[in-house]
Amino acid sequence: MMDRSPKPPEALMRAIAQDLRPVRPSPQPLHLALRMVPLALLVSSVILLAIGPRRDSAILGPLLTWGASAAQFVLAIALVWIAAHESTPAGRLPRQMVYLAVAAASLVVVFVTLLTFSASPANATLRVPPRISEILRVSPWIVDLACGIGNTLAGGILVLLFSRVFRNSLATRPTVAGALYGAGAGLAINAGWRIACPFSTPWHSLGAHGAAIISTVMLGALIGRFFGNRRLRIGGRRS
Amino acid sequence: MIRYQGGSLEAFQEIYAQLAPGVRRYLSHMAGGSEVADDLLQETFLQMHRSRAAYNPAYAVKPWVFGLARNVFLMNRRAARRWAKVHESRENLPEFPVLPEADRLGSQDEIRRGLAYLSPDQVEALLLHHEWGFSFEEIAGMLGITAAAARARASRGIADLRLALNTLQRARA
Repeated sequence: MMDRSPKPPEALMRAIAQDLRPVRPSPQPLHLALRMVPLALLVSSVILLAIGPRRDSAILGPLLTWGASAAQFVLAIALVWIAAHESTPAGRLPRQMVYLAVAAASLVVVFVTLLTFSASPANATLRVPPRISEILRVSPWIVDLACGIGNTLAGGILVLLFSRVFRNSLATRPTVAGALYGAGAGLAINAGWRIACPFSTPWHSLGAHGAAIISTVMLGALIGRFFGNRRLRIGGRRS
Repeated sequence: MIRYQGGSLEAFQEIYAQLAPGVRRYLSHMAGGSEVADDLLQETFLQMHRSRAAYNPAYAVKPWVFGLARNVFLMNRRAARRWAKVHESRENLPEFPVLPEADRLGSQDEIRRGLAYLSPDQVEALLLHHEWGFSFEEIAGMLGITAAAARARASRGIADLRLALNTLQRARA
């Protein structure tokens, strides 16, 4: 029979007394999301630093080149902020807001893709040696694959960095929280990637880049689920 | 809570003394049994201890701990797939709290039976507001709904409870 008085049971007290090191309080969701900004900026701009901005950026203009990416980046940070709220037992946001943010993020990606394509529909050429250029002309899917894999790898790195911050998450739905910060990571990477990637066809942008975003969402969901299950196992060991 | 985060065992005992009875009754309602509630209570405070760094002083401690208790219950339910069992046992809840607001509507036994006719969402919102005194904003944060939805669930719950009690009283007469 358990002790039902307000005094903690012996076993619980023993478990608590074993580890009473001081801890730093967690930051508020907004601060947590803002802390991710430099990290997300750094990882998402690696491709931009490596191959430079797309050649048709003069045709697209600064608003469609940088402005559209900035909007995606802000949405990415908003998704991380929502994930941080979802991970707080007393601070969850209404479900409608979560769904609305996810829908807005998806629409922005599609809208920016179509707008970019309508402004610069011409097929781009890569700054590569003629032999590789010929291979890519014969097998254009290699570019899609390379873009998809590169985008996913960069997104995966960012998801792993985010999940380090979210490892102590107390989400009721850890898979959803993980998917949200995964979506944030995917969107942030796409924001940087689209400035560098010279291909604007919807097939490439939505197929290769979109698949990469979906992959990071799934990776985030899996990591969130893993942390949730791990917490469950820890809690399962009753003293 | 800040003293507890700083490493004070006495602060933990104070938090436990203040919150454990309410959390236990909440878990007892959620799990539909006092034996499960005792385990879940212990697990909630263990989780609180392990996750004490995740607490932000901007939030009130009580809704944070109740939200954590809710998470612990849901995680346990997921793991043990007890959902069906919880619903089966809803007719016979041993420690189902009786709302002070509902006191004048009927006897404690009738109210317990009446509450069993309500949807789990309504009962949860009703109890969190009337029994444990949370504001609708706090309930919204715990359940992931809007404050208006929390208010609607609680008021619809009271209306449905009234209906259920009338039906029960007519059936008895």
